[in-house]
Amino acid sequence: MTLRHRGFLSATAGMLVLALVASTSAAPSGQPIRVGGTLALTGPLAATSLVHKIAGEIFVEQLNKKNGLLGRPVEWVLLDDQSKPDLARTLYEKLITVDKVDLLIGPYATGAIMSAMAVAQRHDKALFHHTFGIPHLAKYERQFPTWAIGPEPARTFPNLLFDALAASAKPPKTVAIVTSKFPSVHFMSVGAREVAAKRGLREALYLEFEFGNRDFGAIAARVRDANPDFLWMGAIGLEGNGLLEALKKLDYTPKIHFYLYPAPGPLALAPEGKYALSTTVFEEHPPFTASPVAAEYVKLFRERAAKAGMPYQSADTQAGSSYAAWQIMEAAVTATKSLDDKTLAQWLRSNRVDTIIGKVRFDGPNNYGDDLSKIKQVQDGKWVVVWPKEFAAPGARLIVP
Amino acid sequence: MGLALAAIPALRPPAFVESFLYLVFHWIALATSWTILSGFSGYFSFGHGAFFGAGMYTAATLAVTFGVPFLWTLPAAGVVAALLGVGIGAVVFRVRRLRGELFALLTLAVTFVLATIVLNTRIDGGPGVFLAAVAIPRIFASAASTIYVMGVAVALAAVGAAWIVQGARLGRGLFAIADDEDVAEVLGVPTYRFKLVAFGLSCFLAGVVGGIHAIFVTYVTVAETFSITVPLYVVLMSVLGGARHWLGPAVGATFVTVLTYAFVGGEWAVVGRAVVGLTLIAVILFLPQGLFGLIGRRRPGRSVPAPPAGERTVAAGSGLLSEAATDGSATAQRGPTSRPLVRCEGVRKAFHGVQALAGVDFEIREGEILGLVGPNGSGKSTLVNVISGYYRPDAGRILLDGRDLAHQPGHRIAGLGIARTYQIPRPFPRLTLLDNVTLAGMFGGAALDGGQAEREARRWLDFVGLADRASALPTELNLHQRKFLELARALASGPRLVLLDEVLSGLTPAEIGEALALVREIRRRGATILFIEHIMRAVVDLTDRVVVLNHGQLIAEGRPRDVIRQPEVVAAYLGKAYA
Amino acid sequence: MPSLTLLGQSLVSGLFIGGLYGLLGLGLGLSWGLLRLINLSHFALVLLGAYLTYQLAGTAGMNPFLTPLLIVPGFFLLGVVLQWAFDFFRVNEFSSLLVTFGITVVIESVIQWVWTADFRRLETPYATLSVRAGPLFLPVTEMVMLLVATALSLLTWAWLRFTWVGKGMRASVEDPDIAAAFGVSPRRLALLLSGVGAAYAGVAGTFVALVYTLAPSQIYGWIGVVFAVVILGGLGNPLGPLVAGIGIGISESLTMAVAEPSWAPLVSFTLLILVLVLRPDRI
Repeated sequence: MTLRHRGFLSATAGMLVLALVASTSAAPSGQPIRVGGTLALTGPLAATSLVHKIAGEIFVEQLNKKNGLLGRPVEWVLLDDQSKPDLARTLYEKLITVDKVDLLIGPYATGAIMSAMAVAQRHDKALFHHTFGIPHLAKYERQFPTWAIGPEPARTFPNLLFDALAASAKPPKTVAIVTSKFPSVHFMSVGAREVAAKRGLREALYLEFEFGNRDFGAIAARVRDANPDFLWMGAIGLEGNGLLEALKKLDYTPKIHFYLYPAPGPLALAPEGKYALSTTVFEEHPPFTASPVAAEYVKLFRERAAKAGMPYQSADTQAGSSYAAWQIMEAAVTATKSLDDKTLAQWLRSNRVDTIIGKVRFDGPNNYGDDLSKIKQVQDGKWVVVWPKEFAAPGARLIVP
Repeated sequence: MGLALAAIPALRPPAFVESFLYLVFHWIALATSWTILSGFSGYFSFGHGAFFGAGMYTAATLAVTFGVPFLWTLPAAGVVAALLGVGIGAVVFRVRRLRGELFALLTLAVTFVLATIVLNTRIDGGPGVFLAAVAIPRIFASAASTIYVMGVAVALAAVGAAWIVQGARLGRGLFAIADDEDVAEVLGVPTYRFKLVAFGLSCFLAGVVGGIHAIFVTYVTVAETFSITVPLYVVLMSVLGGARHWLGPAVGATFVTVLTYAFVGGEWAVVGRAVVGLTLIAVILFLPQGLFGLIGRRRPGRSVPAPPAGERTVAAGSGLLSEAATDGSATAQRGPTSRPLVRCEGVRKAFHGVQALAGVDFEIREGEILGLVGPNGSGKSTLVNVISGYYRPDAGRILLDGRDLAHQPGHRIAGLGIARTYQIPRPFPRLTLLDNVTLAGMFGGAALDGGQAEREARRWLDFVGLADRASALPTELNLHQRKFLELARALASGPRLVLLDEVLSGLTPAEIGEALALVREIRRRGATILFIEHIMRAVVDLTDRVVVLNHGQLIAEGRPRDVIRQPEVVAAYLGKAYA
Repeated sequence: MPSLTLLGQSLVSGLFIGGLYGLLGLGLGLSWGLLRLINLSHFALVLLGAYLTYQLAGTAGMNPFLTPLLIVPGFFLLGVVLQWAFDFFRVNEFSSLLVTFGITVVIESVIQWVWTADFRRLETPYATLSVRAGPLFLPVTEMVMLLVATALSLLTWAWLRFTWVGKGMRASVEDPDIAAAFGVSPRRLALLLSGVGAAYAGVAGTFVALVYTLAPSQIYGWIGVVFAVVILGGLGNPLGPLVAGIGIGISESLTMAVAEPSWAPLVSFTLLILVLVLRPDRI
């Protein structure tokens, strides 16, 4: 291919894109398509719900700046479920039977999603949800999980993690598993325990603690006594920081340490969070941001998060999956030119959708497809993906101190 | 009313309406079930979440693990919760100190313990219980309707139960327990059994509510189920609506549920929450009696200040005096006999090693007025407390008709016909005079039904000159009137023996005269009296015989005029008094 | 068999968390026991104090241990104003629960409005600083916290027991007329006491900010265990919450050291129940 040729091609492509933009940037018109959903805008889950609110607002604005959905503007009917699953259930019934929304987008956190799913099922509505953690409980054929962790994350994810560790400079020989008894966390830790045993790692410690535990002093002392090569912390929210700070007070730095679903900001910013590992499906660096859509989103998310006064403004799993849920909904509606739940569901179960977290599919058990999880690590106060290698941030690799 | 509510699904409303109303009824049922024990008897439980949760997990486990049809799990949920409650109550209600805050603490601790057990055993174990596979019974076409109707049913059952309890003996007893449990027991209320029954009923209902809620939320987790929300909201709702009325919690629950769910708009969620808080503050500040105070009946004359002391006494006492004077001749017919009514044998009672009663032997003869005197701390009040069953003696027997009372609970002793008054009157402060006296008739030896007891109560209020204050509260009375209320309450139970503990203390000479006339009249009507008193002149005037206690021992016994001349008595007691 | 170091370290950990329970319970217990007000908003004030510490130390760059100098006077005034309002509207023990719940919800909303629901962590060098004592590590912030909790509890105890005002205060619980005989107005005493209680909430807030990452809904996370500590300690007894808090803290912590940590509440609260049922006179 000659240079000239290439120039011609790119010019043509550019013109095509221009033409497309011109044709699609006509303002959407007609009756708005109403998308209904709740988020925990107040109560204990509000911190993460704020991420989903910003993600959804960005997407809806972008959509309406383009051509909307099927040429119609999109309106997001967002209600506050106050972090209560029983209220989430009632509000989804309101959205379906009173507000009569066209499409349903999911609430945040396992309990509320389960409630919403049951309502959607009774009304045969499709439900697009963002970050649901227990795939084997999602037994409704018209629910579409965005967070692609595969149907058996308790097996696939620990294997991915131990693969990464095995390929590191110092593969661990002993493991300590400390876990919260929070439902979406606990089964993953149980899975990690089994995988570790199968792979021949010696279990130096296995501990379960109550969700909501505040005193990690004794647990930290036991971890220090066990002194494992690798610490799996089945933590949700601030529990990871709690253990890590308690360890630091004992002047102990875990060798290799992993946190399942930590609050990303506090862990990345804490000095003792250095080299902490975690799971992710999206981070704000290439190759994730190679697509212009993702790059634009990451930039907008940062702006909005800052404007909302959030201390940590990086888009990660929650923000990525949240945006991708809307992408999946848009893709299905656009492809089928329909708002019919059955049509949408049929199309989704037989097609792949390209999203900012990767290509997702819904043809496996409980509509789960591939496990797109990656391993990320805190390096220089920032989360970067380190495994699998093809998703690693430029120049980043798993650091084993 | 119930039918109308249950008929709502027939109107085919949007599922949301049923779902929302379900939440309202859910809280009505939960708050009302709480009030049956806690509101009525004053035993504030902060552990209602434990019983709610026990029901939730029972239903979830039976339905999911054992495949029991859902409707059948509900009675089981209620029974498990009730057994848990009764089990706790059976231990806790025996311990006199575990009232008020300590009971709240205990129930809170039970919640933590139960949550930990559920979390760490196969009941849950951590992952939560998912009920999606459980078939919702097809009572109505849609699941929302069915669950709604179940919610309505349990709410109506709870409110109905509260209504029945409040009007029944049980309710009367519970209200008395709330005001003064020791007095209630001595008046004949079987406090232990009543608390247990109320607790069992309360927990049963909470358990059923939990069972239904399990299928409503479809996913049951420990953190959600045993959170602080349930006990906190239940208390808030009941107190807001009025915890001492069967309908109060329903009003409060409706208000709070509608209020908290009124602001679910996504745009202003935080502001909405602030408005909820401000509304709650405003409601309480401007309606301090609770919402129900606005709707419910206001007690007439509640705010009428008590008349100045002494003003009413003449009127109150005059009728009695004249009655006593005209029937004075009858006194001779009902005089003392030699037949013992009660005999104390070697009664001993020690507190922390100090002998309050060091082996007391004496008898109270049928029809007599027996004076019991002795210096302060000589054991007089302890003896009254032992005879009436408040304390159990360490040793000895107290025989009534040859039957040993020493280890009987207070309410049974009251049932056998022993009534008492308190030196410092202890009326039930939140019950009217009429209710105070009626209670004695219902639970004491007379064991009348409600209507009879009320007629009897009016009679005795009239007897002591308080008939026109029947609907007043005891706090509106002066000391003298409260002492007479004590008398009326003791008499309304139709006692064979009345223990009068220093009825004269604090009265003016004129009032003393009235009181003495009243005591004579009581004896004339057939009761035997143990008259405990400091004022020797009154004792000498009134009593047929006197026993003297000192340091927990009987030091003299005999006719009053003889006894006061005995040197030991003079030394121990009279010497000081007459010095 | 767990090593002695592990047991010792757990004991230390339980002692310190008990100190925090005691500090949180001190102000709550005072108003509950002496004013007969169940002040749920105490927890909201604690968290508000924590956020203010975060703001002053994190954003404005103050030494976090100095922030109480600014917070305490403000909170004292706030407590006085609240008590004045309670008194004006004749709030009693039961309605206090409702009113203060309303206040709690309002404060929670204000916190979320100002600082968002996202987590806030005050990064200070003190947060994870420890000193070594033999084989044991003693975290500095927690040590200071325990010392402050102990000092405040003892001072309050001495104040109530030995000073004229304190005696009047205790008397006024029994009988306002007797208090009048002390020459002090129960109403003014109540204002003072409420101010002190709120000030203690501010102090506790500073330590919460130093030890924990903050989120608005954490207001409700403490209610259960602190209620337990306050009642167990004996309402109105300033030393009670600290002693009870340390008891619960140590029993939980030792359970975590020797058994599955998730069973810890079972042990501590079963002990509590046994204490209540078997020796109720001792409390």
